[in-house]
Amino acid sequence: MKEIMIKCEGVHKEFRLRGNIIRALIDVNLEIEAGEFVMVQGPTGCGKTTLLNVMSGLDLPDEGSVILDGEDIARANEDRLSNIRRQKIGFVFQDFNLVENLTAIENVEALLWPTVLRTKEIEDRAIAALRAVDVLERKDHYPGDLSGGERQRVGMARAIIHQPRVLFGDEITGNLDPVSGRNVMELLKKLNKDLGTTMVIVTHDSNLVQYGDRVIKMDHGRVVR
Amino acid sequence: MLFSSVAGAKPWIIEVEKEAAIISLVLSAVISISLSVFYAWIITNYRRTEIATLKCIGYTNNNVRIIIVGELIWVTMFSFFIVFELLIHIVAFTAYFYYTAERLPEFSPFIRFGPLLITIALFLVAQIGGILLAYQRVLRLRPIIALRIQK
Repeated sequence: MKEIMIKCEGVHKEFRLRGNIIRALIDVNLEIEAGEFVMVQGPTGCGKTTLLNVMSGLDLPDEGSVILDGEDIARANEDRLSNIRRQKIGFVFQDFNLVENLTAIENVEALLWPTVLRTKEIEDRAIAALRAVDVLERKDHYPGDLSGGERQRVGMARAIIHQPRVLFGDEITGNLDPVSGRNVMELLKKLNKDLGTTMVIVTHDSNLVQYGDRVIKMDHGRVVR
Repeated sequence: MLFSSVAGAKPWIIEVEKEAAIISLVLSAVISISLSVFYAWIITNYRRTEIATLKCIGYTNNNVRIIIVGELIWVTMFSFFIVFELLIHIVAFTAYFYYTAERLPEFSPFIRFGPLLITIALFLVAQIGGILLAYQRVLRLRPIIALRIQK
């Protein structure tokens, strides 16, 4: 029997926007197995980003539970959530979100700076992560000197340096040209295979769903498939 | 040795010294408070995405606070040294234009150890405002902001 990495049970989430209540997630129930590559797909505004936020502990559900690696993160406090994110979760952002005045390797190392690890070990891990995403030769460059694809690779290196159990990505190819987008997705697939990291990637692009082992389709806040 | 403590110092010199001390204290306080609060505001306002990203990847509020407070102290200490240098230049200009060469040694105690210590203390006290502001803003910044598309 396969290990369940993420389990959502009866998850509801509402937002108030200019006096209107928007039901972003309605009774979402799903399970994602460890090592699975899952694509979450649906039209804009269907609730897929909200689902990603809730599954990663960035946002809390109004109702229901979210079990990540055996722990209910819907009931964890902010410091615990930060620790869970540092230990178990990797994020890849659409806008890369690299610190402009840090070099590529420093951006990757930054995640481990507040830990008890020695500087040398952090550096070794950063080099290994940059090598894994094939951008090691650009380690001393600043984000401003890198192309979109390279920036995204540095972002991915940062997301895997701590060997997370789950990697979340929200429209990560949204700011890349089609070729770079495909390369990034293939790299994620490779990392999923090599490291066994569970991948949860949100996209509205139906061309990318082929990379997933499974597609979770959403519409109007509900999981429809 | 204070210039005003020199035997036979004229009353107007003592008055000038007092005024200069008060002005430098007020200037130091105003500059340091403004710098500290303004820099805290800049850090937390213009670097919202950066702070949110750090929180997103697992930095606790405490980790982010340490970074910001460290930056504030660094910048404030530098601003202190800039003001200190400015004071030296003011003394040099004043001495050049209003004092003769032989009286310059008497004028040099214008920058005394006491006021210097007070100024440093003022700079450090002034940081409290900036630190409190940064604390509040960092606490309010939610990691989810990092996922929003930047324009």
